[in-house]
Amino acid sequence: MIGVLRSLTATMGTMLRKPVTIQYPTQHRKVPERERAFPILLWDFDIDEPFCTGCHACERACPVECMTVTMKDNPKQAAGESKRRKIVDEFFIDYARCMRCNICVEVCNFDAIAMNNTWTGHELSVVDREDLVMDRDQLMALSKEKQIRPWVPGA
Amino acid sequence: MSLPFLWGVFGVNMNVWLDAFVRLQLVVVVMTVTVMGLIYLERKFVGRLQMRLGPMRTGPFGTLQSIADALKLLTKEDLRPSTADFWLFEIAPYVTFVPVFMTLLALPFMDGWFVRDLQLGLFYIVAISGVTVIGYLMAGWASDNKYALLGAVRSAAQLISYEIPLILGVLAVSIVAGSLNLNAIILQQDTVPNLVLQPLPFIILLTAILAELSRRPFDIPIGESELVGGPWVEYSGIRWSIIFALTEYAGLWGFAVLGSLVFLGGWEWPFGTRSFWGDYDFVYQLFLVFTKSFFIILTMMWISATFPRLRIDQLMSFCWKILLPFGFFQVIINGIVVTYKPSEELRDVLLFLTSSALLVAMSLAIYLATRQPSREERVGKLLASRSAQ
Amino acid sequence: MADMTTEHELDTIDVNVNIGPQHPATHGVFRMVLVIDGEEVVDLVPHIGYMHRGAEKLSENMDYRQAIGYQDRTEYLAQFNAEMCYVQAVEKLAGLVPPDRAQYIRVILAELNRISSHFMFLGAFGTDLGVFGTAFTYAFRERENVLDLFEEVTGDRLMYAYFRPGGVAWDVPRDFKERVEWVCENALVGAMDLDKLLTDNEIFIMRTRGIGILNAQDAIDYGATGPVLRASGVQHDLRRAEPYSIYDRFDFEIPIGTNGDSYDRYLVRLAEIRESVKIVRQALAQMPEGPILPERMPRLLRPAAGEVYMRCENPRGEYGIYLVSTGGTQPYRLRIRSSCFCNLSALKHMTVGHYVADAVTILGSIDIVLCEVDR
Repeated sequence: MIGVLRSLTATMGTMLRKPVTIQYPTQHRKVPERERAFPILLWDFDIDEPFCTGCHACERACPVECMTVTMKDNPKQAAGESKRRKIVDEFFIDYARCMRCNICVEVCNFDAIAMNNTWTGHELSVVDREDLVMDRDQLMALSKEKQIRPWVPGA
Repeated sequence: MSLPFLWGVFGVNMNVWLDAFVRLQLVVVVMTVTVMGLIYLERKFVGRLQMRLGPMRTGPFGTLQSIADALKLLTKEDLRPSTADFWLFEIAPYVTFVPVFMTLLALPFMDGWFVRDLQLGLFYIVAISGVTVIGYLMAGWASDNKYALLGAVRSAAQLISYEIPLILGVLAVSIVAGSLNLNAIILQQDTVPNLVLQPLPFIILLTAILAELSRRPFDIPIGESELVGGPWVEYSGIRWSIIFALTEYAGLWGFAVLGSLVFLGGWEWPFGTRSFWGDYDFVYQLFLVFTKSFFIILTMMWISATFPRLRIDQLMSFCWKILLPFGFFQVIINGIVVTYKPSEELRDVLLFLTSSALLVAMSLAIYLATRQPSREERVGKLLASRSAQ
Repeated sequence: MADMTTEHELDTIDVNVNIGPQHPATHGVFRMVLVIDGEEVVDLVPHIGYMHRGAEKLSENMDYRQAIGYQDRTEYLAQFNAEMCYVQAVEKLAGLVPPDRAQYIRVILAELNRISSHFMFLGAFGTDLGVFGTAFTYAFRERENVLDLFEEVTGDRLMYAYFRPGGVAWDVPRDFKERVEWVCENALVGAMDLDKLLTDNEIFIMRTRGIGILNAQDAIDYGATGPVLRASGVQHDLRRAEPYSIYDRFDFEIPIGTNGDSYDRYLVRLAEIRESVKIVRQALAQMPEGPILPERMPRLLRPAAGEVYMRCENPRGEYGIYLVSTGGTQPYRLRIRSSCFCNLSALKHMTVGHYVADAVTILGSIDIVLCEVDR
């Protein structure tokens, strides 16, 4: 009988605390710097081309084989502006298969791929599953518009 | 004193059937609004107990949530298992809801605000609310589902058993008041509410109400974690909401008003029959009834949100071994005191003393029956202290 | 009339009640068929396999770093413990020695994960018993704190993939010590909240004490491990019996129950939260600076050919990884000894003779994670 009354006081006690609800979508949680949403490609603003050379390292390392990469000869290297001999031609990531394990970021030799650490990385729901296959321009959009400060481990 | 326009418009000049019809419509409207408000209240209040906010998005602070829920349920597909017994299945929710609605007909919400002033008001209320058991059984049987049948049988056992403490609780009060008429019971409480004279039946009534409405901790028939929904597992849409929203909250409201009228003094205590505002007395009477039933409702929501559920055998032994004997003793002692009272003044004092003594005895009985080994024995060194260190 | 037998008085049929696979109380897609006689359970047939995704087979096509993600998804409430078992198995085969700082980080995160897993149990157990939502929100309040900390360290809230053979993937953020200390304090307060709500509540005690008794010999026979075994009175904790990683450097107690009923299983888990906080605080005090991966880490790990069986103390029991390698980059066979699977085998023994409502209580008190049962 006494224990039952203890439970009642415990419940009444929490009534006086501030509720812990965050009212999404008007309020967001603050995401930490290392947040790991989906991978995006980075843009090199010095030379005005992507960092990615299409070397297939991430494609091989991906556990779920969600990437497709092709490379082409870099026209800027022929013109003498860039040191990258090859540059990425097509880059597809299927966000529906990606398991966000960060291995692609770790194996990249050029620090060309990073995880999207903004809140928008979590708001990617679409109506048709095929819209989740992101192509190169969609992947580079965030970095080109300077909206991101990605965190690459060890960098 | 009754509402001026009510007397003038719906006075003796009106046909009695039309008069009853209009009063019924008023009760329907008030009940619907109150049920929506109670659903909203429960979600916000229980949410606060659980450190969260409750509905916030539909309307300012979520006030339109009940309307949104009602609209959603109205537009849901009306499912019926193909092997279900058609007529029993269709009618069962109504058989459960209509008796609960009919209990609202005998309740005087304020002075003069009733549908019918029955001489056997209390008897009528407890009798008619017992018909809901049939609805549960009909739903369980007609659903052609093992879960539903198990739930229906459990709920029939529970509801029939807890009828008796309910009856004994109000019977004790009617012996004190000398009448089954609700108006008479209220008028008797102009100086001291029946809660003071009869604390034990109040506790018995609260417990029996929780069990009659199948609320936690007595919700084993609609055990959300096992037989999901119990007898109502096959129902969807508006039919489901007739049970879980309308019946439960209308019953909660009706019984809470009954408790506040019979025990807490209704619109009579503490101001009595002194009239403050003439024809507008109903304002403070409304406020009084509202506050008292609100207090009872909040207590029941608080209890519902805190306790685990009792198993069916524990539930039944609680009813038959604790609530029932003490209810009987209370009725008998009431009868003795009222009949052989030494004097009028001592009657009230004796009633208070005997009822409090029985309340203490019942608490002791509950304590002894549910006594568990002390914390040291149960827990040992596992969780030595109660504080976070 | 000495011939008065009562066997053929009434011919009754026992009812089969099917609980699951879609059910709010079965902790995942688990199906059990109860054969009941009135209200009492006479027989219980569990059906599993609804969540089998072939994690072991898939791991044979992954190299050793890629397979860490699958360990997370197998044991989705105690991920760091599962990852730790796996990476230690690989380290044994490959002969890698993780540096000290990595070991301490691993232990801190694994114990915090144990705390969050036990909070999940407390919430779910309260809900099974009918405390509609109150226990759940209290428990998840504390779990959110732990998950927020994990997000700051690894970037993800549930599937971390943070441990690597040889250490951890990257170093912890600068304010790690303060954050962990804050989380520990709040975890203790939260555990006391749940204690106040449930432990002394007579209804709770009546529902769980004496329900689902598993005595010590039966627990050992069924292969039950973890809190289920310890609640039955057997003093067996792998962190003490076969210390792996650096658990021999810490001073902590092992809560042991007496009766082996559901109440004891609940108490053991509640007490383990406090012990884990002790371990975390000691580890924080002792954690050195230094590297987090060994000096020479090969790009692609090729452990020597051989086999190893590594077992760890998960929040649910003994989690074992049996790893066979033929010298390549991918394991030849990865077998997971699942703690919940063996704990679940004792379900019938514990439930027969109790009521239907108790079956749900007992299932909740074993604390299963279906992905681990089915892999």
